[in-house]
This record gives sequence, structure tokens and C-alpha cells, in this order.
Amino acid sequence: MPIGNLDVPVIGKNVVIAVLVQSHILFATFIIGAVLIAATSEYLGMVTKQNNYERFARNLARFVVLLFASGAALAVTFVLALVTLFPVFFSILQNIFFWVFLVEAFMFLGQIIIVYAWYNVWDKLAYRKSLHVVFGFIAGFFGLMAMTMIDAVASFMLTPAEVTSQADLVARSFLNQTMVPLNMHRFIGNFSYVGFLIGGWAGFRYLRTTREDDREYYDWMGHFGLLWGFGFLIIQPVIGYGYLKGIRESAPESFNTIMLGDKSWVFNLLVIWIAVLSIASTAYFVHKLRFAIKPMETLRKLSVGALGFTALFTVLNIIPANANLVPQIGLVFGQGEDTQIPLGSMYPWKYIGLIGLMLTGFFVVALYLRASATGFYWGRASRWSQIALMSCAFFVVLTMVTMGYTRETARRVDNDPAYLINGCVKLDQTLVKEGCPTKPITEEGKGG
Amino acid sequence: MELALLLQEGSTGDPTAIGIFHFFAGFFLIITIYSSFLGFTYWIGKDE
Repeated sequence: MPIGNLDVPVIGKNVVIAVLVQSHILFATFIIGAVLIAATSEYLGMVTKQNNYERFARNLARFVVLLFASGAALAVTFVLALVTLFPVFFSILQNIFFWVFLVEAFMFLGQIIIVYAWYNVWDKLAYRKSLHVVFGFIAGFFGLMAMTMIDAVASFMLTPAEVTSQADLVARSFLNQTMVPLNMHRFIGNFSYVGFLIGGWAGFRYLRTTREDDREYYDWMGHFGLLWGFGFLIIQPVIGYGYLKGIRESAPESFNTIMLGDKSWVFNLLVIWIAVLSIASTAYFVHKLRFAIKPMETLRKLSVGALGFTALFTVLNIIPANANLVPQIGLVFGQGEDTQIPLGSMYPWKYIGLIGLMLTGFFVVALYLRASATGFYWGRASRWSQIALMSCAFFVVLTMVTMGYTRETARRVDNDPAYLINGCVKLDQTLVKEGCPTKPITEEGKGG
Repeated sequence: MELALLLQEGSTGDPTAIGIFHFFAGFFLIITIYSSFLGFTYWIGKDE
């Protein structure tokens, strides 16, 4: 007996999928980024002979092994929920992306095997360290490939490819208009997200520990995590711009919804989170420069200036374009969309803000790396600097969740109709023939 | 800019109370699942 069109009481089936996927992605991204950072750290430990790198890599690898089950369980639950709640939609995806899903499954399998082997042979391969490091990087590679496969599906849902023949369906759908920028955005994001989380964890442990050697270690770990977090964050605006440009060209209604329309508040939220991340990171760097082994007062003064510029540029990014702030909850002032706020428009102010933020970020990271070359006195960081690290970890999670919501809500446009595959499959799983660029989906007996 | 305003015309977003409830319920669940799984992993991993 068919189970029919199921719904979920109270929260509805859309929220079920959103919750499972967003939770899963927070773990999946962590695992991919952490494996790559841990492998890099192990390599650095091998080259520099500094014990902190090795200790950190091993502990992180252990945490990844333990965490793997949570991420995988959520993935399986998500697929089960999708098959049960959106069976028609899932069958359409399977018809297009069968090979992609198959490759993803094997990449996932490869990642599990190599990650477990990597951690388990840590001592056995202690005298063949190069080989062991390669294990870590291969595990990271498998993770990245799995991410690439699912990015093809996720980007296709927002910007379905223009396909007229069945023969082109798989290849063109895989390399749809926003697949490459999304994949690049997530590739960089892996490192940034995990870096901030590592920094936050180190800050928490630093404040709690009573042992001097642990204080030194966690102080170093906070510095190491934040370098990954902030170092990769400042690359993101350029790649994010490329991604948004792809969306604007291929799905202009979606672009307008999230950038100019009723859902543009998600971007205002996003830049608030990024403002906190940038200011807290720069403030941490300024603080840390006080403890450089070789005193660098000029560098420190320059970084104080950079902190001021960071604050200025982030404020420029936050200013909303008009007084129609969050119409969904009635947060509208003046004449709403007609009340323009000074310095709020995208061009030129947001561009100046984002480019300025990047340039200042590169400048401050360069200064900080210059100071790192001669080293720091570890274990003397202030309480506030560790709170800055912890707040970065908190806000990077909000950034991830907000970005995920933004991409998925972009297909809603004005909810009339909302789409599962933009312009092709509606939220109620019915097909739309007119205007769907991927013709085989709507041709009976072929794609869908 | 006119194009943007034209596209927004008649836009309703998702202004219902149930929509707002779904948004916050979803967010709460994500954060709960995330923090509890992380906490659990930390708990089973400590005592080295």
C-alpha cells in the first residue's frame, strides 16, 4: 500500500529536511576541514619538529573519528526523510544524478576507511611519517570529492542547466552555472569554519586549564586556529561575489529575492556575523602582537590602524539599503522600500566595504605572520582575547546556518510558487513545463 | 533599480505566523542537535 503524501505535524516537512541537512552540513564541513587541517599540522610538525603541531593533529584526528558517526547518522536520516517526504523530487534527482550519487557514496566510503586507518596507524607509522601524512591528505581528498558531488546537486537545484537533449543531461547538469563557484566557496569555507571552531575551543580550554604547559599549548592552538579561520575568511568575499554573479545571471529572481527583496535581511544578518568575526579576529591579532618575542611596536601600531579600518568597512557593509528591514515580522520603517538609507546601496558602498575588508584583512594577516616568524611568548594571552576567539566560533556557526538558509530560500522567490528545482519542480513536487531550462525533466518517460 | 522594484512588486515573502514559528523552530533544532552531538562526542572522548 502506498504511504501517500506524508506531512510532519507541528513543524512541517520542509523544516524537517532543513534541520537534518543544516545539522549534517555543520558536521560534514567540520570533518572535511578538520582532516585537511590536521594533516597539514602533522606535516608541519614533521618538518619543524615542534611538538604542538603533532599533538594538535593527533587530538583533532581522534575527535574527527569520534564525530564521524554523528555526521553520517544525520546524512542517512536526511536521505531517508527525503525519500519519504519528497519521493517524486528524489526520483527526479536520481534520474539525473545517479552516477553523481554513486560516486559520492564511494567517496564517502573511501573517506571513512582512510580516516580510520590514518588515526589507527599513527604509532605504527611513526617512523614513516611522510606516508602517514599522505593518509591524512587522501582522506581529505575523498571528503572534498564527496562535497563536490553533492555541490553539483545543490547548485543544480538553484540554477538548473539549460539542457535540450537526454544525452547532455548528466554532464550539463553536473557542470551547471553555479557549480564551480559554489564548490570553491565551500572549499575555502571548510578551512575558515574549522579554523574558527578550533580557535574557540582553544580559548575555552585556555580559560579553564590550570597547568602552565596546557596554557601554552591552548594559547598556541587559538593562534593556529584563528590563522586558518581569518586567513581563509578574507578570501571568501571574492569567491562569494563570483557565486552571486552566477546566481544573478542564471536565476535573477532568486538573486533579487536574497539581495534586494523581502529576504535581503538574511544578507544583513550575514554581514553582521562577518563584522563580528573580522573585528574579533583583528583585535586578537593586535593583542597577540604584544607578546612577540622580538618586540614589534611599529607592526603593532599598524595593526591598530588596521583594526580601525576593519571596523569602518564592516559598518559600511552592515548599513541596510532601505527601511524595509524584515517585512516578515513587520520591521519596516518610514516608507519601507522607498526610504533609502544613506551609504546603504550595493554600489558603490558595499563593494568598497567588502574590498576594503579584504585588503585590510590581508594586511593584518601579513603583519601577524611577519611577527609569527620570530615567535610569541605563549600562555600570557588575556581573558578578553580568548573570549574574542570563543565569539568567533559562535558566530561562524551562525554564518554557516544563515548562508545555508539564504541559498535554499532563494528558490522561494515570493512563494508563488516556491521551487525544489528552480523553475522546474514546485514545492508540492509538481512539474512546471513552461520556462524550465532542463527539458528532459519535464518530458514524460525521460528525465522525470 | 527599477527592475529590482518591479520584481519585488506583489512579493509576499513568508509573512505568516506559522512561517515565523517554523523558522525559529528549525533554528532551535539545528543548534540543539549540533551542540548536543558535539557535547556527546567530547564526553565520550575525554578521560585520556
